[in-house]
Formats: sequence, C-alpha cells, structure tokens
Amino acid sequence: MTTLEISPAVEPAGAAAEPPAGRRAGWGRAFARPLRSALSVGIPVVLLSTFITYAMGALTDTNPAAQVLGETATPADIDRMNHYFGLDRPLLVQYFSWLGHALTGDLGRSYFTTLPVTDSITQALPVNVSIAVLSVLLAVLVGGGLGIGAALSSGGWFDRAVTMLCSAVATVPPFVVGIGLIVLFSVTVPILPSGGYVPFTEDPGQWLRFAILPSIALSVDAAAGLARQLRTSLVGELRANYITGADVRGLTRRRVVFGHALRNAAGPALTLLGYSIPQLIGAMVVAEAAFNLPGLGKLGLDAASKGDIPVIQGVLVTMIGLVVVCNLLVNAALLRLTPHAKRQER
Amino acid sequence: MTRKTAGPLRRAVRLRSTKIALVILGAVAVLGFLGGTLAPSDPLAQDTSNLLAGPSGAHWLGTDYLGRDVLSRLMDATGRSVVGAVEAVTVAFLLGVPAGLGSVVFGRVFEWVAQRLVDAVMTLPYIIFAIAVTGIIGNGRDQAMLAIGVLLAPLFFRVTRAAALAFTRAQYVEVAELLGASRGWIIRTHIWSKVLPTVAVTTAQLSAAALLAVSSLSFLGIGVKPPAPTWGGMLSSDLGFLAQQPWAPAIPALAIMLTAGSLNAIADAIRDTTGIAVDPIGRGATRPDAVPALPGAPAVAVPEQEERIHA
Repeated sequence: MTTLEISPAVEPAGAAAEPPAGRRAGWGRAFARPLRSALSVGIPVVLLSTFITYAMGALTDTNPAAQVLGETATPADIDRMNHYFGLDRPLLVQYFSWLGHALTGDLGRSYFTTLPVTDSITQALPVNVSIAVLSVLLAVLVGGGLGIGAALSSGGWFDRAVTMLCSAVATVPPFVVGIGLIVLFSVTVPILPSGGYVPFTEDPGQWLRFAILPSIALSVDAAAGLARQLRTSLVGELRANYITGADVRGLTRRRVVFGHALRNAAGPALTLLGYSIPQLIGAMVVAEAAFNLPGLGKLGLDAASKGDIPVIQGVLVTMIGLVVVCNLLVNAALLRLTPHAKRQER
Repeated sequence: MTRKTAGPLRRAVRLRSTKIALVILGAVAVLGFLGGTLAPSDPLAQDTSNLLAGPSGAHWLGTDYLGRDVLSRLMDATGRSVVGAVEAVTVAFLLGVPAGLGSVVFGRVFEWVAQRLVDAVMTLPYIIFAIAVTGIIGNGRDQAMLAIGVLLAPLFFRVTRAAALAFTRAQYVEVAELLGASRGWIIRTHIWSKVLPTVAVTTAQLSAAALLAVSSLSFLGIGVKPPAPTWGGMLSSDLGFLAQQPWAPAIPALAIMLTAGSLNAIADAIRDTTGIAVDPIGRGATRPDAVPALPGAPAVAVPEQEERIHA
C-alpha cells in the first residue's frame, strides 16, 4: 500500500488540508457513492427478477401442490398444501408476503422437503464465495502479471503470445477448461481430486486441493480479459506526457510503471473485472456440475428439475445479491485506487 | 466512415482467417441442416459389443459408453446446438437493436427506462436465470433460449445506442431534421446504414457467446430431451468415463471452439476492415466518450468494453 501516496504535484489544492487520519474516512466516502448506485441498480433488479419468476410460476398451469403430492393426492390434500404454502392467495399478496419475509432473511420453505430455503442457501453459499474469491485472486495475479508483462514488451514475442492466448481462451467455456484440467491433473497425472468438496473452515489444505481446479477454470476468462485490457491501457499510459516527466525526473523504471502508470491504467481493467464477476458467478453453476461441488448452482439445478419455486427464487436472489456486492466492492476500489476517479470525485 | 461499407466487407472476406472461418461455418450450417441424415450410422443405435471403443474403421471417432457412434452423434448434435444459439441471438437482436436506436431518438423518458432496464438485466447471471426460467415454465429449448436472449439483449442495446449516438449529432442528420424529415426516415436512411457494421460485428460475437451459453446449459441437461445428442450433453456424458477415454471430451469441445472461434474471427475481420470501434481492447483505439460504465461506476475514462461474454 506504499504506492498509495500521491506526489503533491498531482494532488489538487485543498487535499493537503485533509486530516491524515482520513484513510478510514476515505474508504467510508469511497463506499458512499457506489453504495447508493449499487442499491439503485440492485433493488430494482431483485424486485424485477423475483416478480417475473413469481408471475411466470403463476401464469403456467402447473400446480405445484399436485406435482409435489403426486398422483395419489386427493383434492383435499392439494387444498391443504396450497393453504400451507399460501398458494391460495392472490399473486400480488403472495409476492409481497414473500418479499416482506425475504427482507427479514426468511426465504420461505421448499415445496418438497419443507426445509427453510435460507438454511439450504447458507449451507451452499460458502462453497461459491470461497471459490469465487480464489478465482478472482488468481485472475488478478495471472491476468495482471500477463498484462503488465505484455505492455512492457509491447510488440515483442511475449506480447504477441499473450494476445494470442487471450483470443484462444475466448472460445472455450469455463467448464470445458475445467474438464481439461480434470483430464490433466486427476486422470493423466492424478495429483488432485476430480471433484468433491471440503469446507475451508474444516481443513484449509484439503479445501485448496478441491477448490484449486474449479478456481483456475473459472479464472481463465477473467484473467484473459484483464490481461488484454491492462495491456492496452498501460501501453497508452506509458506514452503519456507525465511518464516522460517522471522519467526525466530520474525516477526508476519500476517506480514509474508501478507507482504512476499502473495506477492510472488499473481503472479500466478493474471495471472489466467488475463486469466479469457476474459471469464468473454464473459460470460457477456449470463448473459446480463438472466438479461435483455442493454449491448454489447444484441447489438451484436440483430445485429447477423439480419445480421447487421457493428454492429457485432464493438461489436467484442470493446470486443477484452476490453480484451487487461484488460490483460495489470493485467500484469502491476504483474510487479509492485510481487518481483519475478521485479527481473527478472532488 | 464516408466510404461505402461494401469495399471493406469485401476486404474482410479476402482475409485468410475469414475464409477459414467461413468454410467452418459453412460446414456447421450444412451439418446443422443435414447432420442427422449425413451421419454414417444412427446416433442413438447402441453397439453393445463395442463400448467406449477407440477410433476404428467402423467408428471413426470411436463409441461412447453405450456403444453409440461418436461421429454420428457429433453430426446429429450440430443442428440442435446451433439452432439454440440462433434463437437466443434473434431474441436479443429483436429486443436490443430497436430499443438501442429508439433510446437515441425517442426522447428522455424512453431512454431513461431503457437504460434502467439494461442496468438491471446486466446484473443477472445468465445461466442461473435460464435455470430458474426453465425450472418454472418448463425445461425446453425455447424457454431456455428466451431467457438467454433477454439477457444478451442489453449488449445489443448498448452497442447500437453508442453507434447511433455518434451519428445523430452529424450535420447531415441536423439538416434532415431541419428539412422536416421524420425520425423514422432519418433512422432508415442516415443512421441504420452506419450502425449496420457495428450491429453485424456484435451479432457475430454474441452468436459465439450464445453458442457457449447453449453448450453450458445442455451440459447441465437444460433445454434438451435426454437421448437426443447435443455438444454440451456429449461433454457431460464423457465426464463420467474420463478414466477410460480421457480424450473423448476433446471432440465436442473442439466443435464448440471451432464454431465460436470462427464467429469471433469474422467479427474481428469486419471490425478491422471497417475501422469501427466495437471492441478496441487490445487494438489501441479508444473512445472514452462511449463509456458503458459499470452500473454505479465512477467516471473513469474507460475504453469500450469487449462485448464478448461467456455464460
């Protein structure tokens, strides 16, 4: 974090008056605006998508109770179940009652097992979050490294190799990368398990053994995008006048690249990373099937195959929540880290 | 952009990468229409004495765990895999392109509503939304593709809007407005032809993205009826027999990659030869004015994002 200090020449007047204890306050302020906009996008999208799924469920002529109870159910049984789940009420009443409960963390109960949906989700969620965190880390490290390397050797063989690699990767879905990794590291050279899961809290070492292949598979896309974007913006920044100025002042190349150019070039790359996170989370649903992980995707897929609407709704809402939180974090980081965005903020 | 687009398009076709891509896509199209009838044997016929066999004279690409001919399944699956992608892209096109043009022309209210909807839809992860939709309204290809199409539409919207915006401020459009031309006429005569190359590039890119989404969904068993082969479904059944046939997933994977790669190559060729900036990433050209920033992102000068999205 030492590179966070900004040379006074770049800092606009008035900034010096800020109390030095302002780092914490800085993060607070960095969060305020993205929080507002994340909520302004997140709330409508949650309302819209949940209402659509509710309305779709109501408009199709499938009767969940009849489906759950099977062929031997009497009409009285069906009425009783409809009443138990509140399905005999008007659609809007059902929806708003669900929404009210959802706000307090109660996502209803499964039609089939009658287990609380919230419990199933809190069991599955750590799988997704831990693997998503690991793959974003991998994407930043690998993509960032390749991007910086390519930019510094702009036009050279390394640059061309990275560009070619990134284009090739764009045609492979992450789950295919995952299958390739299973073939390499579980079948040909059997050093890692091909599927399964151990929670991080139980045994971090075992968790890593199970999580590393899915994380690599999921990170490939984001890493390629990041590398390509970072290369382009870094090459652009390195041609800028302030870089010549920094060179003339006799700063070391490392200081110029990492202290000045990279911080300005990181903005677009971070934005792209923000875009790739929803896709990463979506792709994880498929990776879960390939690696046999007990995550949200498996929960949602099982529920979808039975028409267990409360569970489907819960998984959808949780996924959207994850995406909104990730976007919030990326935007806050953007405001905090890139000088350009900070200047615009004032 | 004063020159006609026919010239650059012809130059795009002359590129070697475009020719290879067109040959591959042509083959995919032929297989898509005729795959089932051209196949050397019945894709569902089980040769129980030849389970998980390697390539041989009778089965060029070997057989799967039920002794079904892999080559025949691959050919028969082509249509099913490609039609899904075409459906999704058509839905996305019909929703996104008119709305993108409309947001430029039809005043602020339309623009505001469209932008909010786009921001909202962009937040949904494709696959889980498609799973939810099929879980509720039925597990069929049309339902799954409708869901994917809706989620791809914002990308069409953004690209069309950005391209059209650049031309609505052109002087000849102002002149036409002053002369009393209707908005519809201006769109048809002045704007559409300029936006067309951009839309073509986006269509090719999103077709590739949709193909990957379709494959992912059929891998999960969504949007397909089980015995009928799909590329994604073949990958899924190969996954259970990696110990016996570690190379088997490479065959359907290669089919997916070649098709998606050809679409992307054509998109790249059109873009490079027409000089439009749909995807300047990695190619230098940046247009900071057409920034599709992350919902709620601070105003950083961001080059237009690459609209090549995986499920």
